[in-house]
Amino acid sequence: MTRHGEFKTPGGKLVVADVAVADGRLAEVAVTGDFFLEPAEALADIVAALLGAPATASATDLAERIEAGLRPGAELIGFDATAVATAVRRAVADDMPRQIADQAGA
Amino acid sequence: MNGGGSGGPDRDPSGTAAKATAPDPAKGPPAAARWLDHDWLLVRDEPRAPTLQMALDEVLVNEVGRGRRRPTLRFWEWTANAVVLGRFQSVRNEVDLAGAERHGMTVVRRVTGGGAMFVEPHNAITYSLYAPESLVKGMSFIDSYAFLDTWVIDALRALGVEAEYRPINDISSSQGKIGGAAQTRRAGAVLHHVTMAYDMDPAKMLQVLRVGREKLSDKGSVSANKRVTPLKQQTRLPREQIITLLAETFRERYGATPALLTPRELAGAERLVTTKFATDEWLYMLP
Repeated sequence: MTRHGEFKTPGGKLVVADVAVADGRLAEVAVTGDFFLEPAEALADIVAALLGAPATASATDLAERIEAGLRPGAELIGFDATAVATAVRRAVADDMPRQIADQAGA
Repeated sequence: MNGGGSGGPDRDPSGTAAKATAPDPAKGPPAAARWLDHDWLLVRDEPRAPTLQMALDEVLVNEVGRGRRRPTLRFWEWTANAVVLGRFQSVRNEVDLAGAERHGMTVVRRVTGGGAMFVEPHNAITYSLYAPESLVKGMSFIDSYAFLDTWVIDALRALGVEAEYRPINDISSSQGKIGGAAQTRRAGAVLHHVTMAYDMDPAKMLQVLRVGREKLSDKGSVSANKRVTPLKQQTRLPREQIITLLAETFRERYGATPALLTPRELAGAERLVTTKFATDEWLYMLP
């Protein structure tokens, strides 16, 4: 079951996390939104840093993982690692199946 | 006319461009000199399909980065309705695909980040800047957004629109949001493109674009602050006339030679449509 979490940064950019948890860890992760990221390929670094993290990891822990995993020179513009971590935390806490979330959000 | 490429750090830019509203970068030459150091081309392009527009942006920024094309300002024309997603947006989170199909909207993904654009050919004003990174050298991404659109803000003000830049990437007015910019850098070049609303059908837009739960929770302030107020309503001028005025403002300030796209660039873009921008792998890379 995919879970959905969103976080809106103070500047107005939306960060969305869609995650699946298996055996207490993040088994599937998608991070999307209207942010800017250079280079674009660094999105894979963020996802890789989150995959396998304990579902109980705090936002601080998740943000540290993301920052440690980013390639040198990567720039997050309009959002930061904490914004992604917060969206992931909200997703993990979200028990609403995705199909219902779609209808509620439509 | 183009030129004056000798503007060094001690040059005093005394023209109108000196009144630039962009934050004055601490490093590097003054704002006007940065522009005048580049020898610009101006392309008033013919209508192109949405996927080809996406591909042209990639081809042209690469050509400028490789030094095979001079810095270029291109005004777009569209052949079809389109939803243009940001590079990092999820299709299903942003688009009601049934609604998009019902209204004949092609859904495409662009190479830059930022939010979804709802485009109908006669309702949007879109342009791209393709320039060597030297144009924005030493500037943060955030400062460079405002810097690259200063001439547009001033042109809109000359039309009586109280335009202003809202960081990171919104062009706004006292009456509401007008448009948004997006940028990416690659191969030593910067691509900066802007879409402004000339006119719009909000009901149709809401049938095609989803508004996420998080944005919905903020809907009150979206309506108040980010409510889109199209240029037609604010200027009562024809779309073509606004584009011409924007182009003239750019040419007068920075110099620009009228130009076309080359057959090689167009062929390269057509290939990229087939291999990338029209593929499901690209559009649904973030489903």
